[in-house]
Amino acid sequence: MSAGVELDNVTMEFGSFRAVDNVAVNIQPGEFFSFLGPSGCGKTTILRMVSGFIQPTKGIIRIGGKDMKGARPNQRPTALIFQNLALFPLMPVWENIAFGLEVRGVDKATRRAKAEELLRLVDLPDAADKRVSQLSGGQKQRVAIARALAVEPSVMLLDEPLSALDLKLRQHMRAELRAIQKRTQVTFIYITHDQGEALAMSDRVGVMSHGKLQQVAVPQDIYNNPANGFVASFVGENNILPGEITGEEGALVTFTTASGTFTARKGPGVSKGAKVRLFLRPEHAKLSTSAGAGNSVAVEVTDVAFEGNFISVHAVDATGQAYISEARNDGSSVIPARGDKLHIVFDGANAVILTGDISAKDVDE
Amino acid sequence: MRKSNYAFHLYMVLFLLYMLLPLVVMGGAAFNDSRFPSIYPWQGWTMRWFIDLWNDGRMWTAFGNTIAVALAVVAISVPIGTAAAILINSIAGTTRTVLYSLMVAPILTPGAVIGISTLLFWNRLHVPAGLHLSVLGQVSYIAAFAMLLVLARLQSFDRGLEEAALDLGASHAQVMRRILLPHLYPAIGAGAAIGFFQSIENFNVTLFTRGTYDTLTVYVFSKVRSGITPTINALALILITFTLLCAIAYEVRRRAVARRG
Repeated sequence: MSAGVELDNVTMEFGSFRAVDNVAVNIQPGEFFSFLGPSGCGKTTILRMVSGFIQPTKGIIRIGGKDMKGARPNQRPTALIFQNLALFPLMPVWENIAFGLEVRGVDKATRRAKAEELLRLVDLPDAADKRVSQLSGGQKQRVAIARALAVEPSVMLLDEPLSALDLKLRQHMRAELRAIQKRTQVTFIYITHDQGEALAMSDRVGVMSHGKLQQVAVPQDIYNNPANGFVASFVGENNILPGEITGEEGALVTFTTASGTFTARKGPGVSKGAKVRLFLRPEHAKLSTSAGAGNSVAVEVTDVAFEGNFISVHAVDATGQAYISEARNDGSSVIPARGDKLHIVFDGANAVILTGDISAKDVDE
Repeated sequence: MRKSNYAFHLYMVLFLLYMLLPLVVMGGAAFNDSRFPSIYPWQGWTMRWFIDLWNDGRMWTAFGNTIAVALAVVAISVPIGTAAAILINSIAGTTRTVLYSLMVAPILTPGAVIGISTLLFWNRLHVPAGLHLSVLGQVSYIAAFAMLLVLARLQSFDRGLEEAALDLGASHAQVMRRILLPHLYPAIGAGAAIGFFQSIENFNVTLFTRGTYDTLTVYVFSKVRSGITPTINALALILITFTLLCAIAYEVRRRAVARRG
């Protein structure tokens, strides 16, 4: 039984600090929805409001269409997976998983059977009688998921549950979580500051900054059609050039920067005279030995990073503007050397003019 | 390195002698066939002080009273101390400071003051003195020991576990019984043990509140006044031996548990 979650203009204030600012989003039953944003953007506050640990200052939270005002955590059809997992250290694994059933008065034999069934679901069939301290990080993760699933929640809330794991395990658990979600059809609301996680797992992503929801869209749209400068710069790498719109050219606009005049797509809400920037993804910034007919800028290579499956080239133009270009390591591209004089060329349809602040990069928990 | 090791060992030997020699002398005196509790001059081996002790009905009554009082003190002060610790841990600000000071103050108050205060207070309410007042008087400071132990243990409690349990549908009572109390059991156990022994060795509070009843400490005190004999040494030796056996049993069990992992 899965239920949708509706945030109806929800605001949360702590004193004069507005942690969540008028957030409105309708999460569908059975959806895998991620809130993505830097630390302090209000995403954890949203999770705590949905789970009932705090009550919103303004606005309504509906779960399965029902107003949750005043309902406490133990009265909501939600289960929260905590960042530190919060497994009960004094209980064996199976009692942890069956705790939600125990407090509902389910008899011991049924609890044990249910715990073993869930352990099979999360691929830990022999762990029932182990102690929590005997489990590895990934196994604890699975136990936490099983414990939350045991109460058959309509909505699962996950607060950066993978952040404590190492890279390999994290990637593996992403796929696992996704598979469990598809199997159980429970609505997942996932909180993360890791764009890779959000894009790879989610049906839809909500990008947050300073308590405001910046964009809600499917992962491809978040990456390809960001709503503003924050979303573009927080999700993925960019070449960012400040400048101004100087004319219209069919579907594109002409954009004048210190490094030259380029054509680019106009992003949402962009009007002439507004403070805007041009955003160009590194994979669309091609290196060429000759200046192109369209958008082109002469650069000197400052650094070449060989990443295995792709090659990342850092370059700088005559004005000091830095560029990143990425090419797939498929044999078709020549690896330049530091100091090479080349041109960055790009198609105007792949560059976009956006408003808004850009995010401080590498903001981590 | 060698030299400091030698000095350290010497220090340890001297320290242990200082601690244990009086006990050895006292224990030895229990077997000396002399009217005075001393090992010098040695008058020969005897068990008569133990036999005297065994036949001393007043001692047995006092012993029974002591155990009864200690058990009652533990039964009352541990729940009070635990509850106070949980309350103090969950509040902040001035209320917390005031409550904490109120709880801890009896530890810093001289036992005689607690004893007299207890007696006067209940006297005013026309409650006669007796062992029940000894229990109440002792609880007033022994509960603070239990509270301090539980409070220290609470520092290591992860509030996230409480939230997780609530989120899974537990009521606050269920959180208390299944999550919080199991975490506190070691401290509660330690509080009970310390409270028990504090009560047994208590003299000041008991002396003022006991009415006409004897406890072991009061009995020993009265013996000192009426002419001391080595029966007191025999009693002390039995208590020391009992304590040592308890400590050894605890250690053996602890090692067995540690080995099991």
